[in-house]
Amino acid sequence: MLLTVLAGIPLTISVTAVALVIGTIGSLPLLFGILSGNRLVWLIARGIIDLCRGIPIVVWMFILFYGVTIGGTKLSAFGAAVLGLGIVSAAYLAEIFRGAISSVAAGQYEAARALGMTPRAVWGDIVGPQAWRVAIPGYTTYGIGLLKDSSIASTIGVAEMVFRSNSYARTTGEGITVFLVAAAIYVIVSVPVGVLSRKADEKLSAVVAR
Amino acid sequence: MIENPQDRLPGRREVVRVRNLAKSFGENTVLSDVNLTVLEGTVTAMIGPSGAGKSTVLRCMNLLERPDSGTIEIDGHVIDAERRFSNRELFALRRSAGMVFQHFNLFPHMTVLRNVSLPQQRVLGRSKGEADERAMALLTRMGLADKGEQYPNRCSGGQQQRIAIARALALDPKVMLFDEPTSALDPEVGLEVLEVMKELAASGMTMIVVTHEMSFARSVSEDLIVMADGGIIEQGDPKRIMAEPSHPRTQEFLRAVLQR
Repeated sequence: MLLTVLAGIPLTISVTAVALVIGTIGSLPLLFGILSGNRLVWLIARGIIDLCRGIPIVVWMFILFYGVTIGGTKLSAFGAAVLGLGIVSAAYLAEIFRGAISSVAAGQYEAARALGMTPRAVWGDIVGPQAWRVAIPGYTTYGIGLLKDSSIASTIGVAEMVFRSNSYARTTGEGITVFLVAAAIYVIVSVPVGVLSRKADEKLSAVVAR
Repeated sequence: MIENPQDRLPGRREVVRVRNLAKSFGENTVLSDVNLTVLEGTVTAMIGPSGAGKSTVLRCMNLLERPDSGTIEIDGHVIDAERRFSNRELFALRRSAGMVFQHFNLFPHMTVLRNVSLPQQRVLGRSKGEADERAMALLTRMGLADKGEQYPNRCSGGQQQRIAIARALALDPKVMLFDEPTSALDPEVGLEVLEVMKELAASGMTMIVVTHEMSFARSVSEDLIVMADGGIIEQGDPKRIMAEPSHPRTQEFLRAVLQR
């Protein structure tokens, strides 16, 4: 039984990881959009974020899995799962990053500009690194949430942990035990991530403590 | 009374020229027709009641604030606020002026040494070794040789302001702009910053200092500018203005700050 559940780990992890990468990359253009001074660009980015966030992950997955064909071929279950999770993640992460950037004091931009730094240096060396430190706790919290949300992929047949637990429960009738095992594995995987994040946060804030 | 510094201190090059500067925020006019000239190697102090526009003049000089009209010239780099200008011109102007802020604005995520060396690499293209060496030399000059590996927030306010001065000096500016450099500091701690500024003045640096430190304005500066309501109301020899101010608004202001 344990082996059955454990066999789902690689897919659970890879769905989470690929979705997080898609979400992170996808969040960047949205981020530039909502930070833009151009009203139209802002409105478009704002609209995309609200749309992506507003639709439940499971609905995204069904739409992508059953409704999208690329050149005559349907999206694979894995593809639809990571894309669905990735789209929603991009919208949430853009908001997390925007909050982090707005926490950087106006004096930091002024000092960097007064020194004659180019926008690239202002963002890359001054604002970006400070914002990233603020974003770490929110980012990892989102990542842990995503690990659990990856179980939604079982609804379109991705054989990750919940999918395997479910089919095991159906064939053997041992419902509760197998799901308890799955629950334990989720906790075992997510706790170290949380601990690492808190460690990083403590270490970084000790350095720049006000 | 407005005395031009060129008449009092002849034979010095004009490093900074501000002409017909005007700026408003919405309905609120903060500066109107400000003209000033700063001569090479001199210290110009700017005083006046808060809201007079002193800091705005300083912030317009390096375009942190975009003026509505007027021209700014620093060390031959000219920007006309009403014309379009390239980023290249903007950065050239900013590089010729170093700025020190009331609240220091050090970069909290970098060590003291990196605060002073990174801008040199990014702005002047110096190598890391070269930049670190120059940073160390300046920190030593500021009496902070042992602070290089610390983070700014572990340093006292007076130390942070001296680090900020070192950071600006490291880019070899032609003129240094000080925006109330001691206003956020305890009077005692402010003294150590003023000492550094005096040393800098003695070394021949051209400086424009917005300040409420009247004794610094009187004893260190060669030219005094008094501002009120968005304009310059008096300019000239600091000792003369402090002893016998000609404008009634100056008289009122000096009475308030000197006789408290």
